[in-house]
Amino acid sequence: MNSIDYSIGEAPFIEAKNLVKHYDSRRGLWGKVTGNPGSLVQAVDGVSFSIYRGETLGLIGESGCGKSTLGRAVLRLHEPTSGSIIFDGIDVTDLNAADLKTMRRRMQIIFQDPYASLNPRKTIEDIIGTALRLQGLAKGPDIRDRVTQLLENVGLKPEHMSRFPHQFSGGQRQRIGIARALALNPEFIVCDEPVSALDVSIQAQVIQLLDELKHELGLTYLFISHDISVIGYVSDRIAVMYLGDIVETGITKQILANPLHPYTQALLSAVPRVDGKGSGERVKLTGDLPSPINPPNGCKFNTRCPFAKDQCRQTKPIHQTLKSGTTVACHLVNDGPI
Amino acid sequence: MNSCQPILSISNLQTRFATRYGLVTAVDGVSLDVMPGECVGVVGESGSGKSVTFASVMGLVKKPGWIDGGSIIFEGQELVGLNAKGYRSLRGKEMAMTMQDALTALNPALTIGFQIMEVLLAHDEMLTGSARNRKREARDRAIEMMQLVGIPSPETRLDEYPHQFSGGMRQRMMIAIALACRPKLLIADEPTTALDVTIQAQVLELIADIREKLGMSVVLITHDLGVVAEYCDRIAVMYAGQVIEFGPTKTVIGQPAHPYTQGLLRSIPNLAHLERRIKPIEGQVPELINLPPGCRFIGRCESRQEACNQTIAMREIDNGCSVRCTLPGARG
Repeated sequence: MNSIDYSIGEAPFIEAKNLVKHYDSRRGLWGKVTGNPGSLVQAVDGVSFSIYRGETLGLIGESGCGKSTLGRAVLRLHEPTSGSIIFDGIDVTDLNAADLKTMRRRMQIIFQDPYASLNPRKTIEDIIGTALRLQGLAKGPDIRDRVTQLLENVGLKPEHMSRFPHQFSGGQRQRIGIARALALNPEFIVCDEPVSALDVSIQAQVIQLLDELKHELGLTYLFISHDISVIGYVSDRIAVMYLGDIVETGITKQILANPLHPYTQALLSAVPRVDGKGSGERVKLTGDLPSPINPPNGCKFNTRCPFAKDQCRQTKPIHQTLKSGTTVACHLVNDGPI
Repeated sequence: MNSCQPILSISNLQTRFATRYGLVTAVDGVSLDVMPGECVGVVGESGSGKSVTFASVMGLVKKPGWIDGGSIIFEGQELVGLNAKGYRSLRGKEMAMTMQDALTALNPALTIGFQIMEVLLAHDEMLTGSARNRKREARDRAIEMMQLVGIPSPETRLDEYPHQFSGGMRQRMMIAIALACRPKLLIADEPTTALDVTIQAQVLELIADIREKLGMSVVLITHDLGVVAEYCDRIAVMYAGQVIEFGPTKTVIGQPAHPYTQGLLRSIPNLAHLERRIKPIEGQVPELINLPPGCRFIGRCESRQEACNQTIAMREIDNGCSVRCTLPGARG
């Protein structure tokens, strides 16, 4: 965590404007159109946010809420359906393939599953060095030097270079994934659940490594996780996502101490705490996440919200920014404390 | 609570597996007991032996694995060496286990209703009358169980297949199956690991609720210290096949004696005190095939000393916990 002064009015480093990603679930295995017309999976449904240089924006939400899709859409690993992503003043959504490839030097991703995201048939040198080669940034022995340096950066040894992924533990594999993301000296990294697959003691090692690298290399992170304690620990600001929408954004401390959206409140109070102190009364949610194919009308959370009223079922709440700097999309916020 | 007999008492359990790399002792001298109505949490990282310990209790350890020593007493009955028939009369009826991954644990080709009724029908004496009557009665009981675990419109969903349920619902179905015959002991193996926090809260509250209603004992196997801290009476911390600390939840979490427990607690971010930096435990869990002779945590322990190279037994310390550590710092 570092302290960023948000009052300066600095232009955001990365800005997503009304980003939409819909998947056509009618397309079957061979691309054949089946099922009902209009069965679109609305994975990301008009999301806007900004990330400032040097900060970590934590994106939290339950599985299926679209947080990974959002992370990938920001890098254009998934082509957004509409909306735009401005990266350091450049509209990424407009770039052609060649420009996008150059742009990718500046933005990278660390994947969730350290087992699936490394090619089992390639050596570590290949895995980390490929991007350098493809981008034409290094050749032959230079690649090896750079890989050596990267391995050291992430706490592995140069002799690991000729090994294959299966010879490493989960934590070590995640370090390899991190080294790969760092290979091109990026400025911005999407960390997509980087510690979720790891054991507690190893999780802490990787979180600490990411934190150190951020400060050493001046990185900016979009940190995606479903674990509120991890998000709370690493983020300067938090964005809470529910069913394709960001429902609340604000400075970490504010969100943790004074969550405004009923979903954020439920999410926070659902976390079992080691100290045995939840955040007071538990806000209980019933039911499951509705399907993103046919999300509820009005506020998408109204089917599970303990405070929902008629208005919530009819009209979609707009985002409003409060004095505290928190942005929230909920009809009930103006009615005083929930 | 201590005046009565434990419902389950494991002592010095050894479970081994023959692998192509050699003999692996996945559970090495585990002793713990569960009192009637109590909830015991078993915490540990992957490979610590927590699941194998309770697979041994349930008689689910199959070749190439076997129980090589120790004893498991359940309600006065020795389970080690019990034959298949003996186990069959216990499993599902007296004690039940829910598996970590509900999707693979449920049979995809059978309806949920069938899978709940199967347990009820297997334990004869609970249902009476003609075969048809018994079936009808089992169906009613299955609907009742689904209501208990909070599945909406159970009458219709009874005839659906596991893939038609969400992850949280599948886990609840597993609990419904496990609880169908009102067992005295429920072993829940990572019941919420695959679930989101809001669903996790629902499932854990459900287990706590039913535990209270039926007065059953629960063993909660998890890697999440937060979960045990909130739901368990006592905690056993496992590391590399051994219990290294066992005691009342408050004491183990509040004044952990073993350096590993201390390290674990320091590795989790504390939401109430975000300014406290986390401190990872360096290194990795040792491979079970190649364990150090003495304390198994020795390679990662900051306070290791000469005496740690010898075999260390569990010993009781002042605060009512047992710990497997030589340190005077463990307040022995």
